[in-house]
Amino acid sequence: MAAGVAWKASVSKVFREVLPSRSLAPGNQKWVMVIDLAKCDGCRDCTKACTAMHFVPPMQEWIKVFEITDNEAAGPYFLPRPCMQCDNPPCVRGCPVGATYKRTDGVVIQDDDRCIGCRNCIAQCPYSARSFNWGEPPHTHEELARPYNVEYNYPHRKGTVEKCIFCPEHLRMGKLPACAATCKMGAIYFGDKFDDAVTNGKGETIQFTKIAKRGASFRLMEELGTEPSVYYLPPASRKYPSPDEKAQTETAQAAMPGMEH
Amino acid sequence: MEAREQNLLRSVLENTWRFYVWVGFLIAVLLWGLYAYIQQLRDGLIVTGMRDQISWGLYITNFVFFIGISHAGTLISAILRVTDTAWRTPITRMAEAITVFALCIGGPMVMIDMGRPDRMLNLFRYGRIQSPIIWDVLGVSTYLTGCILYFYIPMIPDLAFLAEQPRLASWRRRLYSTLAIGWTGTPQQKALLEKAISFMAIFIIPLAVSVHTVVSWIFAMTLRPGWNSSIFGPYFVIGAIYSGTAGVIFSMYVLRRVFHLQDYVEELHFRKLGLLLLAFSLMYLYFNINEYLTAGYKLEGSERMLMQRLFVGDYAVLFWVAQSVCVFIPAVLMIAVLGLKRYHRYTIPGVVLSSALVIVGAWAKRYIIVVPTLRSPYLPSGQRLPWEWTHYHPTWVEWSITAAAVAGFCLIYTLMVKLFPIVSIWETREQPQEVAVSELPDESVPSRWWKPGDVFPILAVAALLLCGRSANAAGPAKPKTPKPTAITVEWKTVPAPQPSRESAADESTPLLPRARVFMYTGRLFTVETSPDDPAEGSLKPSSPVAVTATLRDSTGAPISFKPVEFSAKTPLGTLVFGSRPTLADGKAQLVIKDHRYGTYPVQAVFRGDDEYAPATFNVPVDFGVRPAPSLPRAGVLITPYATPYIAAPFLLFYGAMWVAFIYAFGYLILWKMRKLSPEASVAHVKTAPAVSGA
Repeated sequence: MAAGVAWKASVSKVFREVLPSRSLAPGNQKWVMVIDLAKCDGCRDCTKACTAMHFVPPMQEWIKVFEITDNEAAGPYFLPRPCMQCDNPPCVRGCPVGATYKRTDGVVIQDDDRCIGCRNCIAQCPYSARSFNWGEPPHTHEELARPYNVEYNYPHRKGTVEKCIFCPEHLRMGKLPACAATCKMGAIYFGDKFDDAVTNGKGETIQFTKIAKRGASFRLMEELGTEPSVYYLPPASRKYPSPDEKAQTETAQAAMPGMEH
Repeated sequence: MEAREQNLLRSVLENTWRFYVWVGFLIAVLLWGLYAYIQQLRDGLIVTGMRDQISWGLYITNFVFFIGISHAGTLISAILRVTDTAWRTPITRMAEAITVFALCIGGPMVMIDMGRPDRMLNLFRYGRIQSPIIWDVLGVSTYLTGCILYFYIPMIPDLAFLAEQPRLASWRRRLYSTLAIGWTGTPQQKALLEKAISFMAIFIIPLAVSVHTVVSWIFAMTLRPGWNSSIFGPYFVIGAIYSGTAGVIFSMYVLRRVFHLQDYVEELHFRKLGLLLLAFSLMYLYFNINEYLTAGYKLEGSERMLMQRLFVGDYAVLFWVAQSVCVFIPAVLMIAVLGLKRYHRYTIPGVVLSSALVIVGAWAKRYIIVVPTLRSPYLPSGQRLPWEWTHYHPTWVEWSITAAAVAGFCLIYTLMVKLFPIVSIWETREQPQEVAVSELPDESVPSRWWKPGDVFPILAVAALLLCGRSANAAGPAKPKTPKPTAITVEWKTVPAPQPSRESAADESTPLLPRARVFMYTGRLFTVETSPDDPAEGSLKPSSPVAVTATLRDSTGAPISFKPVEFSAKTPLGTLVFGSRPTLADGKAQLVIKDHRYGTYPVQAVFRGDDEYAPATFNVPVDFGVRPAPSLPRAGVLITPYATPYIAAPFLLFYGAMWVAFIYAFGYLILWKMRKLSPEASVAHVKTAPAVSGA
């Protein structure tokens, strides 16, 4: 018994349980995102807002909108992919220096003060959610005006990895992340799992646990065991014109002025 | 005897013009590579062909290739030593040299690949043992140390011998005598040396196997199609030994040609090593079939694109050429020259050609392993990106650095051959002139090359999302015209406690002995810290809250059968619960069973109707205590601290290796052997004055 206690004490001394301050979040939250694929019409406003807010360097998209065609019969749909902020994040597992780490509010933070640029996290991430500053990124004055902080992750630096971080700076202020706030279709819901409520940019709030029951939500590549914090509602009965229809109307519109001339 | 030794020493003593031209050429290539690297340092990795999608390229290919080449050296020499094969003596030193130099080149390739080489020390300041990169740092550095020792220890007698050569420059003689650490060749010293060598040989075998397994784990520990494979450890180890054996044969041939070592490196050696290479080629063929058939047969979702790319797509030419050059052609060639009597006289050219093909093919094979997988991610991440960002074409910088790596390897090898005798003098001296060709089972691949089965369970504890249910009602009827009647709304919160859970009962009952055992052992093997650890996995459902709104008119009389809307204000929005009608007593009750924690302002709104004016009431409702901040249980390895069952095996294994090195080199060679040396006192005054007196 005593040996057991001593053993337990010595083990816990080596393998500590107390979380270091850098992994502690400012509040006691657990952020989740719900993306309604039935509503996403692929306008990429989220990407633009994110890029503008974080001064994301060119060729990087922290939230990227894919056009997915799983099979011909199902038809294409749009899939916005932010960082999944996995609960079992492969990138954090693989990082040799702890430059990317899980915060207690569920956000996977990227610390570019520490990143050595080995790109193991890029290899690890099945969602291709990470990008690398291959060269010196172009800078703006607003970007350089503030000192580097992991909560907004700029000024960007050459040779380091970056990714979506759920806008912790906005969350501190009680605002939605840039992508959710911008989405005109209200496809991106965001909220605290402990609040059990997620809100979109249009101010609509739904109960988080209810979507599991009603909306048959899924997470991307659930079979990989990464436990993402981003949930998707299936792209069933779209609430926007299908890409084909959109292309047709666009070509029709493009053809119209041509006919006038 | 003496003539033979003189011949051996020629490589150390004499320099021809060819040597200078060769070294000059290598240095030129190296400087060119350095120029390319400076470009890369200045502009960043943008000067390479790598981009976000294919983020590892030639550098990682080179890394795996050189670590692979490094394998056979030590492994072959160690196995031949352990099995005490007589014909090994002329070639062991060459093999060991390859290992050391290939490691010296392979290791830095990763640093060249790094985006921020200036932050290299972070690997030691903040290293996380959970990361495969750190396993590599640990493995490769241990292996390099071991290989240097294993290269050096058997060379000590030769160094002592060289120190006595009057034809050498004095600085070289001084160097040799320092390195010889007082070797005089007494029987005790010899016994100690043999002991240290065989000790190192035994430990270097599992170490070599582990290192390439760990290298493969960089890939196998990812979720990428094509890398996410359990066979990668042994596959890489066999591939490494295969390419390494080819490297040994090729270097044997080159050195034999250049230094006229025909007396030492005979056809017999090519034959024996050729058989070994043939055996490895067949094994590698088997592993390749195993790897690609299992994936290609099923064409499982994520792997389909990769397999099609490799078999018939844009990597098909490279894939089939690499497989032919690496496996098929060498195997056929070697079967011909080694197996058919008619072609026996072509043994040396045949085997050497095969090994050259194997070396080139092995490099291409590494490329095939690294690049096509990255080209085939799960999501079509190349959408709306320019062509150069989704296709990998190495740039001149990468090719230059690759060429410089090969040149660097050749340069170190050349210089070391000049500095140290490449054939062991003392060991070949002991050997009888006629090599006994009696022992046949030379190509017997030792069955002990098993994969270190440190398979670490990754526990994925799924976070439970318990179904919540909130009562709902039909939409309220909207009022038309308000009447000037005053109305107040009252609130009561009635938290209904959950029936006590089994865990509460558990704590009161005494633990069974078995449970007690698990309490302590389980601490090591699971993530469980304590039963009441407030991690997310053990999140207790919050207790349901009954919210009652009372609707009265100005006189205090209850207003019945009116809809009251309930909503909760969350930090980011307002969650609408729907409305409830007031009953005869004017009370509308809503039971909220959501999974919500913390205090929220709940609002009850009466919209008003023809009779009554609208009214609103806010009350903070406590839904229960929020769980303490913690990391998710599901991520076993994401903890900021070392995880026991990852840290322990690695640290124990490589720690054991370091202990072995310290014993074999530090104790046996540096301490014991020096003490035995009668000249120690003369040569090195500072060592043990007591011994000098005795």
